[in-house]
Amino acid sequence: MDADDLRRAMEYYAEQGWTDGLPVVPVTESYLAEFLATTSRDPSAVVIPMPHLNRNLTVRLAALNAALAGCKPEYFPVVLAAWDAFLADGMVSRAIWQSTTGTAPFVVVHGPVRTRIGLNCRGNLFGSGFRPNATIGRAIRLGAINAFGLRPHVLDQATQGTPAKYSCCIGENEEDSPWPGLHADNGFAAGDSAVTATVIRSVLHIEARHTMVPEQLAHDLADTVCRTGALVRPTASVFVVLNPEHARLLDKAGWSKRDLTQAIFERGTKTYRQLAAAGKEAIAAGTGWRLPADHPDAIPQEAPADPDTPVRLLSDPTAVRVVVAGAPNAGVSSVVETFGRPTGPPAIAKVETHSP
Amino acid sequence: MLERAGIPAVSICTDAFKITAAAMAMSLGFPGYEYVTVPHPIASRTGQELVEMARAVVPEVLRILGVDH
Repeated sequence: MDADDLRRAMEYYAEQGWTDGLPVVPVTESYLAEFLATTSRDPSAVVIPMPHLNRNLTVRLAALNAALAGCKPEYFPVVLAAWDAFLADGMVSRAIWQSTTGTAPFVVVHGPVRTRIGLNCRGNLFGSGFRPNATIGRAIRLGAINAFGLRPHVLDQATQGTPAKYSCCIGENEEDSPWPGLHADNGFAAGDSAVTATVIRSVLHIEARHTMVPEQLAHDLADTVCRTGALVRPTASVFVVLNPEHARLLDKAGWSKRDLTQAIFERGTKTYRQLAAAGKEAIAAGTGWRLPADHPDAIPQEAPADPDTPVRLLSDPTAVRVVVAGAPNAGVSSVVETFGRPTGPPAIAKVETHSP
Repeated sequence: MLERAGIPAVSICTDAFKITAAAMAMSLGFPGYEYVTVPHPIASRTGQELVEMARAVVPEVLRILGVDH
């Protein structure tokens, strides 16, 4: 086989629509077998059922799309755990990837598997440059396209989508964090490898190099968490991806992750006047979405006597999930706007180990 | 889904979703399934405009249902 054959194979895959637009890796049965050998699960076992589309994502299809995406076989247990977490999160099964909102898969990897496969959890976290991050996230996206048929302009009706749809997979920087990882906060052992997954609308940049005061940092984060542009449901739901420098600042002041989520919750308000200025002061009957009080679908409500009365835009502190990641080199963090499980524990699945 | 349960039904969607509607029908084993389209959008129209749009498609809905009128 020469380079022309390889190029012809890649062109063939593109012509079939088996891609996100970038070239995919041609997959043979023997190469696929290497992926399937990393799990004890039966290739025909269903990982994600999608009855309303008459489709299922099987272990074999998950492996095939991981291979197409450019994963190495040893990444596949992480891809499978990510799919398990998406099933637990629930929104994928509720057809969220067909929605005009245009959400992307968001995958956070915890535990020793990060270092074993070289998954980036430090500098340029959301950027390019690292094969596990680039291809594990892409494996989920290609699974959506090829196993469920969720192609843009057809079953994927995203109005604009997000660049995160190419890949959005990060590792938690447990080594530089003063706190236990998100998986350890949620019943897993710190030494377990696990994956958190949900669907997201955007990753927003927080520039906060100016302060050593925990309350000011919490305020800066809360302002972004509660921006009106993102409010479709009555309340917000986010991941705060805190760089290790911010985490250490808080830790030094005696703050735990819970203290941070509580502080963001307490500051997570806008006044009735601010909400009304954007026409999002009321809630619709039926959808539960925000809209103006004079809209015919609005649930009747009394406007407060004082229009500067604060309105809570976080239902409780668990609507904010904290992950520590990125380089410990500047006060730069991010708010990830999710559209998955709104509150309570995030969806996390253990990475299964298997020796053939 | 209603028709599978033996209940005659007509789907209505806006013209922005024609391709998706056809793809969903194909996925569910009804290639060529007939549905009614109305102009996009819905969310930013007044109640009166919506009533007029609904009136305008009644004959088409009845035609697909096979009702004489």
